[in-house]
Parts: sequence; structure tokens; C-alpha cells
Amino acid sequence: MARMKFLCDSERCIECNACVTACKNEHEVPWGINRRRLVTLNDGKPGERSISMACMHCNDPPCAAVCPVDCFLQTADGVVLHSKDLCIGCGYCFYACPFGAPQYPRTTDFGSRGKMDKCTFCAGGPEPDGSVEEYQKYGANRLAEGKLPLCAEMCSTRALMAGDGAVLADIYQERSLRRGYGSGAPGWSTAYGRNDRGSPFAPGGPATGGG
Amino acid sequence: MLVKRSSGKTSRGGLARSLAGSLDSGVSRRGFLRRSGLAAGGIAAVGALPGAMIRKAEAGPVLPNVEVVTRKNVCTHCSVGCTVIAEVQNGVWVGQEPGWESPINQGTHCAKGASVRELTRGTRRVKYPLKLVDGAWQRIGWDQAIEEIGNQLLEIRKASGPDAVFWLGSAKFSNEGAYLYRKLAAFWGTNNVDHQARICHSTTVAGVANTWGYGAMTNSYNDIQNSKALVIVGGNPAEAHPVSMQHMLRGKEHNRAPFIVIDPRFTRTAAHATEYVRIRPGTDIPIAWGLLWHIFENGWEDKEYIRQRVYGMDEIRAEVKKWNPDEVERVTGAPGSQLRRVAEALAKNKPSTVIWCMGVTQHTVGTANVRALSILQLALGNIGVAGGGANIYRGHCNVQGATDFGLDVSTLPAYYGLAEGAWKHFSRVWDVEYDYLKGRFGSKELMEAKGIPTTRWFDAVLAQPGQIDQPSPLRAMMCFGHGGNTVTRMPDMVKGLEKLSLLVVADPHPTTFAAIKERRNGTYILPTCTQFETDGSRTCSNRSMQWGEKVVEPIFESKDDYTIIYLLARKLGFAEPMFKHITVEDTRPVPEDILREMNRGCLAIGATGQSPERLKLHMKHQADFDKITMRATSGPCAGDYYGLPWPSWGHPELKHPGSAVLYDTSRHVMDGGGVFRARFGVERNGVSLLADGSYSKGSEIEDGYPEFTMAVLRKLGWDKDLTAEEMRVIQAIGGKDIDTVSWQTDLSMGIIRVALKHGCVPHGNAKARAVAWNLPDPVPVHREPIYSPRPDLVKAYPAIEDRRDFRLVQLARSLQFRVADSDLRQKFPMVLTSGRLVEYEGGGEETRSNPWLAELQQSMFAEVNSADAERLGIKDGAWVWVYGPEDGSKAKMRALVTERVGSGTVFMPFHFSGFWRGDSLRGNYPPDTDPIVLGEPANGVTTYGYDPVTFMQETKVTLCRVEPA
Amino acid sequence: MKTEPVPQLQRRDLLKSLGLGAAGAAAATVLPGGEAQAAESPQEQVKTRYRETEHVKRFYALNRL
Repeated sequence: MARMKFLCDSERCIECNACVTACKNEHEVPWGINRRRLVTLNDGKPGERSISMACMHCNDPPCAAVCPVDCFLQTADGVVLHSKDLCIGCGYCFYACPFGAPQYPRTTDFGSRGKMDKCTFCAGGPEPDGSVEEYQKYGANRLAEGKLPLCAEMCSTRALMAGDGAVLADIYQERSLRRGYGSGAPGWSTAYGRNDRGSPFAPGGPATGGG
Repeated sequence: MLVKRSSGKTSRGGLARSLAGSLDSGVSRRGFLRRSGLAAGGIAAVGALPGAMIRKAEAGPVLPNVEVVTRKNVCTHCSVGCTVIAEVQNGVWVGQEPGWESPINQGTHCAKGASVRELTRGTRRVKYPLKLVDGAWQRIGWDQAIEEIGNQLLEIRKASGPDAVFWLGSAKFSNEGAYLYRKLAAFWGTNNVDHQARICHSTTVAGVANTWGYGAMTNSYNDIQNSKALVIVGGNPAEAHPVSMQHMLRGKEHNRAPFIVIDPRFTRTAAHATEYVRIRPGTDIPIAWGLLWHIFENGWEDKEYIRQRVYGMDEIRAEVKKWNPDEVERVTGAPGSQLRRVAEALAKNKPSTVIWCMGVTQHTVGTANVRALSILQLALGNIGVAGGGANIYRGHCNVQGATDFGLDVSTLPAYYGLAEGAWKHFSRVWDVEYDYLKGRFGSKELMEAKGIPTTRWFDAVLAQPGQIDQPSPLRAMMCFGHGGNTVTRMPDMVKGLEKLSLLVVADPHPTTFAAIKERRNGTYILPTCTQFETDGSRTCSNRSMQWGEKVVEPIFESKDDYTIIYLLARKLGFAEPMFKHITVEDTRPVPEDILREMNRGCLAIGATGQSPERLKLHMKHQADFDKITMRATSGPCAGDYYGLPWPSWGHPELKHPGSAVLYDTSRHVMDGGGVFRARFGVERNGVSLLADGSYSKGSEIEDGYPEFTMAVLRKLGWDKDLTAEEMRVIQAIGGKDIDTVSWQTDLSMGIIRVALKHGCVPHGNAKARAVAWNLPDPVPVHREPIYSPRPDLVKAYPAIEDRRDFRLVQLARSLQFRVADSDLRQKFPMVLTSGRLVEYEGGGEETRSNPWLAELQQSMFAEVNSADAERLGIKDGAWVWVYGPEDGSKAKMRALVTERVGSGTVFMPFHFSGFWRGDSLRGNYPPDTDPIVLGEPANGVTTYGYDPVTFMQETKVTLCRVEPA
Repeated sequence: MKTEPVPQLQRRDLLKSLGLGAAGAAAATVLPGGEAQAAESPQEQVKTRYRETEHVKRFYALNRL
């Protein structure tokens, strides 16, 4: 069974923020709530790389593990959804999430932060698919329409991909073979050693001072 | 915010912190800006949102049970030309979907493109006509607005002549709007009509047109996928043209192509480069010659190509000889060994392409910069080759089209110029008497004299009569679709604005012009809709024309450009002759009819085959076009290149497919092939200017040839191929002397048809000019900027002599020497340069009014190198003052401490306005139209300096001082 | 774009197909509205929504270019 995944190819990501505004546009996400955002490492230096981040729809989501009211649900295709009717805005999920995905309408030291909001993989929420209530609470349900998250569909350089994890892995492998080197992403050399094959001009190679 | 780590490693905790949004603390541009913002007026602050749900119970964008209509238009931001798919319900634009079929963007967008739906919600738009009375905005009706504006224009005309009015048009017009506006200025009787191309790529147009014939990108974004090496000079497509990076990165990956960025700033594009060359701002010619030095030294040039197709390369060799690696490094800062590597990458990975943008064009030597890079590509034999080319990324969505269709002080549509022959041609196209047009002008001399460019309009307002080569200084400005903060020397601009008796702003947003507090009366704002609220064609950078379909009706009381132009023409009394062959429905001229008139008259660029019917067919059948070649492989457009990139020769019925790659001799002219244009005569000092043994495939003349005229046709005996009807038209045009009727003036298009029939290109087959003898610098030479940070180089590389042009004085060398001899360098020790951000466009009023974009960049900032910041005691995110060397200018903004700029260089984005010397101007905007984000304009501190060929402004090099505020 | 037969309410596709050819007319496109629907059962809430439609296939293909 297909599992829904995001994959951001940092060789392609140019930090243009199309994914961020596509998300705002599709779901009318208000000012101050960022379901998706860009993270840049080594900003302004050789080796600069960006990736687009949102809820990663973990296989075993830690947000769900800590939620005191059990508002999370995971669909059969791996999308992590939650119920705003149940959410009490305690903020535990924010502390549990390794990606900082949960967002809250209020910033406060004490008391409720309001109903948590996050990326739904464009799959709405527990309300009936495509209903007005679903849209008002969670935004559009593209997945039910046979589409994918708009952030990935609109990505300027086809860096951000969304869909069946197996297909995305396959596409990424094709790209790596074509490039002749693995990910130039920070951390790659730590995990896989420094001796990437290929041209010395390859990003992350010695000519650019990255790697 | 991510913790700064030298190793680039990160930890889970670090990443999580970085994602915590406004809680973060860090160094990246956006992280810090996000923290610093949140003072945005007019926005429901986060805390004010209902706590229960993130959204009020307002209807979502798409409603069940209501019909959804899909409409196709084109993004209104940059020149890439991304298709926008709009879903409309009940006349409201409710959703944006990816347009997979578009061969250009293939469904993708950047931040701006993904947010265009907001334009038609328009919460910050101008909603009704406004008039400024004693510093207060009054709502008025359209009738009153047109009546009052028209009466004042007529009064000014009577008292001071038609040249006292400056007509500023827009690169955001459709082609039809641009053409109509140029026609409006002609019927009004002035050449004082200009648009944004002046300040983005006017020097490109002048530079490349003077080299090989036409002022446009030679290839296309898609074609870069065929390049084996790319070099980007003074351009940052990752922010300015993000979707182009799709093609560039694919090309890089597929071809394992060296991807070289030459720029003073380590841009987001440079982050993806295989080689980054940091140069001192304003030293592009030494870089081009430094590369050519290695190419000539090693014999890497394409000798046969040069022999056949290039004129004057020996004179270039002589100049290049001076630029040995040591001198190049002394002037530019780029090491010789690095330039050798770049030169070798370009020479040995062919075809290689050179891409440039405003880092090359916006200089006092802009035209010469462009020429130097063009000559580099000629030496490598890369022009007229798929995968090669001079890929010039134009700026706005229709800056190419607006330039092509004549929004320019020096030419009528299609680059016909302003000479009597050009006016006679257009009087035939418009079906009016030449004498009528002449009578509209102050004099025949003024009719044929270049007008005042937009970079200097305020100098023309402030000039004393006698300092200016027209009867009166400017008294009125009609400003359509143009920001007020985009031109250098804003302190002088403000003085000019104050003195104008009439200012009319026709725009979706009030623009900076409306918010200048010095002006208290005599300003009108006309709410103008965006291109999503009307229809018409626009030309992307690669010369493809795309037809945009109206998505929704103009919102609020706004009207489209066509209607406003018609209303003005009617009030001014010349609507009847001006719209003789254009249907006007109610008060709206029909864009299809306007395009048909353009098709009839714009022969010189081959804008004749792109009929509205063909363009609409292309939009409908986008899926049939190949995603790299852009050629339709099946369907009703089979054989055509997408958008019929000009030249698409002859009548639409001839079905010319358009020309994807200019000057490509490997193809037949009817297959999109071409040769360099014979535009500058056939011979100079006894040396032939025509191509030598090079010709496009299938040409019956297997050598160079001049442009086609009746005389040439007769000499070849091809005049027999003309039909009787074609001969009748030619005789009507030529009268007694039909020999002078040329392919450019023959409205029957018979001469073009016959030339094509014999496999020849109508504009002749010449050599490209490495030496352009008609330019101030026939061979490009390095000249230090006016405000040079290197006084020691000024005497060796001085600016051009002071001169007069465009009806005004141009100071250059005298000012440069004065600056170099003064102690200015000590007072202003840093180099100031400027550029773009991905979230905003141009002057930024429109994009800073869009909450989805504004949220991402909430503060104006200046990038300061970390070493400079430490020395000056400037902390990341802290307020600083940036001081400029003219008029005591200064601007207050935040500091972004970064390695992106080199030590000694300060960078500012130019999209901000609404603050002035530390004070907010928010209260000066008409109610509810102030953009969400305001900031100090970069041009508040920029300085004097103009290119001699086009009066392009110098925005990329001046001096400044930064101090903690 | 092709509309595939699927059990869920195809909000936009369904509405779009109904809208076809109805230009200008206040088309009688009254559907079972969102309001009228019953809440989803827990099983329905976690059902698979992803399908490899033409739309999705085209997205994958473009990512392979």
C-alpha cells in the first residue's frame, strides 16, 4: 500500500517559497501560521542548501504519542491528521515533533494556544471529504480529489515532491545516478563518507568548498 | 533558527528549533526577518484570530454546489511566462491549479506565481478614482476624473506644447496595451513615452541589436537544457526568475554542465553553482576580456565562425591583449587561474550559454557590458546554436513585448525608429495622413527627436527652459503601471514630483508616487485592473507570445488599460482617427483587433504571424508542445514553436512556425532558421559587412546578402513572383520610386513572402558586429563607475566625456573626477549595490500588499559582511543608517550580517518604499491601500550615473556608509 | 483532465464536469451539499484517499524530466 511522503531534493531547492505561498493560497492559511517553511543551512556561504519543511507524516508520529486527548489519526495511506474539535491547544505535540510542524494561533506561556494547525498533506481532516466544515477547519482535501499537495505540485524546480514514497525514492535515485554524485546536502558526508564520486565541479565538491 | 555551525551539521534539536517560527533566533535572512516583523499595520495580528479555529466561519475558496469554470492566463510577475490555471466560481477566483501542459513552467510557480490569486481579492487595491486635495484623498467618479485630467492636459498642451507631458507606460501592459499607449503618445504628439525597459534591459536591447540585429534573448529558457556549460553574469535567477532554474538545473544535471556564476554577491543561484567568481561591482568588461584573453591565448576561439559571421574581431583582440590575468585581477579582484578555468569550461563544453541580467545592464557602461559578453559568445561561435546563445532574462512579465511594441522614447513600434520613413510607415498602418500626425507635434524636429527617458523625467521637470532641448520643461506625468521608487536619485525625484502640476497614477495600487508627502494637490489615481481582469497577449523573454484569458471582471471600480486609454483619447479629441480600424465595444477597444493592427504593421520584427487566433490555439493545445524544443509534435499547431516566438514571418496564413533560436543557420528560414540581420549597410571602409559563405539552410543565395527591397528583388529577377495585388500595394507605397519599398514597409508582405520562398531571410544576411562604430565605445572598454571605490583606477579608466543626449545634459567624466579628487571615498568607504528578492517584484507595492508574500519579508534590510559588521559594531538584525553621498541622503533599515556580500560591499533589495529617512509614510497612502509591508527605498541613497546609449541608470555601484542607528 | 470514477465526493472534478457546457447559464448543479452529509465514521476517517490518477501520474512524470 502506498505511503504518502514528502521528499525535498536539496540539489534542486532554491528557496523560492512557492511551496509556502501555494499552501497559504490553497488553504487560506492566515498570517502567522506556517504549515510549511524553508530552512536554509549555511545561508550566504558556499555549501548553502535549503529544504522545504512541513509535517513529515511520520510512520510512528510522536505528536500522536503525547497527545493527552488523542486527537490524532493516521490514515491508511500514512497521512497524519488531527481533530480540531478534540484539540485543547496544550502544545505537547509541538515539543514532541522533531520538525516543529504544529502551529498555534496564540503565543502564550500559560493556558491554551488555541487549536493546533499543521500540514494535512492536503487531505483535510476528520469531517466528510470536500465539505465546507472540513475546508473551514483544515483547508482543501486534494488527496480525495485525486491530486497531491499543491506545494509539491507547484514547486518551481521540482525539488519538493509528494506522493507514494516508493515512487519518490525511485525518482530520487534516478536523479542521483544522472548527477553522478549523491546528495550534496549537509550531513550527507557525515552519513556516507566524503568521497563522493563524480566531477570536482559537483556541488558539495572541493571546488565549491562544500561537502 | 538554525544554529550557525561551520561544519554544516545539524542536530534534531537544532532543526526543531529552526522550525519553531517566530520563536526562533538565528542568522538566515528569513529567520531573522520573521522575528523582526509583526509590526504590520492593517493585518489581523496573530493573537487577534479567534482562538477556537484558525479561520472564521467565512466561506472557503471553493463552494460545493457551485459551477467551477477553469480559465488560463499567464503570471503577471517575471518574464518567464508561467501559465496560471484559475478556477472561478460565481465570478470569483477561488483556486489555482498547476498547468502541467505549459511547455514553459509545466505546472510550477515561484512564491509570486503561486500567490497571484490574491491580486483579484485585492484587499489593498485602489478601489475607486481618487483626487488629492490639500493633502487629503477624495473619492471621485470616473467621469469627473477623465474630464478634469483631460482639461488639464489640454491646458498644458495649449500653454507649453505636447512635449510638456510625460507618458510613462508599463511592462505590465499586454502587448496590445503597450502598442495602444505608444499610439496614444503619437496621436498626442510626443516621443516622451517610456516604460520599465529603460531601467532593466534598455542597454541589452541597444547592445545586442547593435551587435547582431535584434534586441532580445536569442534562445529560450527551455533551450538551456541543451547547454553543456552555463555562465551567469550579474543575474540571480533563483530569486528573479525561479522557474527558469527548473530548466537550468535540469540542464546542469543531464549534461553534467559546469554552472558558473560571476557576481559580486554569493547569490542563491551561486549556491547551486559549480564555480563562483566574486568580482568587484562594475568590472564586467575586464571579466569578459579576461576570459577572452585566455580564449585567444589558447586558440580556443571558433575561427571559421568568426571568419564567416563576425565583423571586426581583430580590433577586439587588440583591446583584449591589455587584459592579462594580472591586470584583470588588479581591477576585478578575480584571480587569473580561476578565470582560466571558467574560460576553458566555456570553450570545451560547447554549446555553452551566457546568461545575464541587471547586474550587467544597470551600469554607466551597461551597453558596453552587453556588447562585451555578446562578443565573447561570438568568439566561441555560440550564437545561433541550440544550447548556446545570449540568454538575456528580461524582467517584468511583458517587458519584452512592451519594448517590441514601442514604449520607448527612441522608436515607434517594432524598432522602426523615429525618422520620417518610420512615421510614414505608421501613418499608413494607422490609415491617417502623415501631415496629420506631424501637425500633432511641436515640430518635425521634435517628432524625429528622441524623448526624455524615465530615468531622467524629474531632471526634465526641474530644468530651466534652455537647459532642455524642447520648448518647455515637463509639467505633467501620466504614470501607468510603474512604481515610484524604481529610479535612482529619489531625493531629486521628490523635488520633481513636487513641481509637477499634474500627476496621474493609473495602477492597481497607489504606488510610491502617491505617498510622497511633499505633494498635496493635482494628483489623481485611476484604479486599473491587473492582466487577470482583462485579456490580451504578452511576450515572454524568449519572444513567445501567450494569450491570457480574462479570469474575472475588473474588481471594484477598476478598468483595464484599453478602456482608460480610450477614455483619454476620446476626451483629448482623437479617438476617432486613433481607433479607425479597432472595434470599440462601449468604451473598451477589443484587444484582438489591436493585435491584428499590430500584425499588419510590425513587419520589422516578424510580429506579423502571431494572429489572435493562432495564439489562442497554442494556449488551448499546450500539451502538444515538446518540453525542450517547444515545438508542437501533433495536433492543430504541429510544427509551430510555442507562442510563435518572433520572428514569425509574413501573414498568419503563411504558417511560419516562429523562431525558437535566433540566427540559427542549421534550419531553413521557414523552419525557424535565420542569419544575422543586415542592418548597418553592406560595407565599411572597403570591408564587406555581409556574411561570408554562411547562410541558412536551403537559401538560394549561398552567401551574404543585403536586406530585401524592391530594387534587390528586381536585380534577382524575383519581382516576377509578386502577385498583382502585392504589386498594387507596393506601387501605392512607393509611388514613383518603388525600388525603395522594403520588406519592412511593404504592407502587402509580398517582398517577405518572395524572400522566404527562395529560402532567404527578409532582413538580409550579414556579419555580426564586434565593432559597432555608431556607439560611443565602438569596442567596449572598461570605465570606472562615477562613484568609483578605486580612485587610483579612475584616471586610467575614466568615464565617458560629459555630453548631451535625450534632450538633456549628461554629466560623466567631470563628476567622476570631482568624486575621485574629493575626500568622498573616506566619508563613504563602502560599495553599495542592489538587487531582487524572490517574494517581491519591481517597486514592490503590489507584492508587498499581498499578505502571503508580505509575511515572508517584513523588513527592509541591508546585507553587511560579517567582518565589516564586527568592525562597525553592527549586530545581526539591528537598525542601521545607510548614508549616500548625494543630497545628504540616508535610509534606516535592519542589518543582515552575512558572508553573502564580500567585505566592503553592502547590498540592498530595491522593492521597498513607504518609509523616508526613518519616517513612515503610511498615513500618506489613500485609506486602505497602504501596502502591508513598508520600508526605506534603496533608491533613497543611490546616485547619479547613466549609460550614454540609453540613459540606463547606475544602480549597481555607488558609495555608502553604514552606521548603527 | 480525466475524471475517474471513485467513491468519494470529487469536489472540484465533479463540479467541473457538471459545469461543462453550462457557460452563461445559472446551471442547475444542485448536488448533495456538504451540509447534508453525515459525519464520517472512524473507519471512513482513516480510509485511503490517495489514488494514482492521471493528474498524479503526470506529476510523477514531470519529476522524472
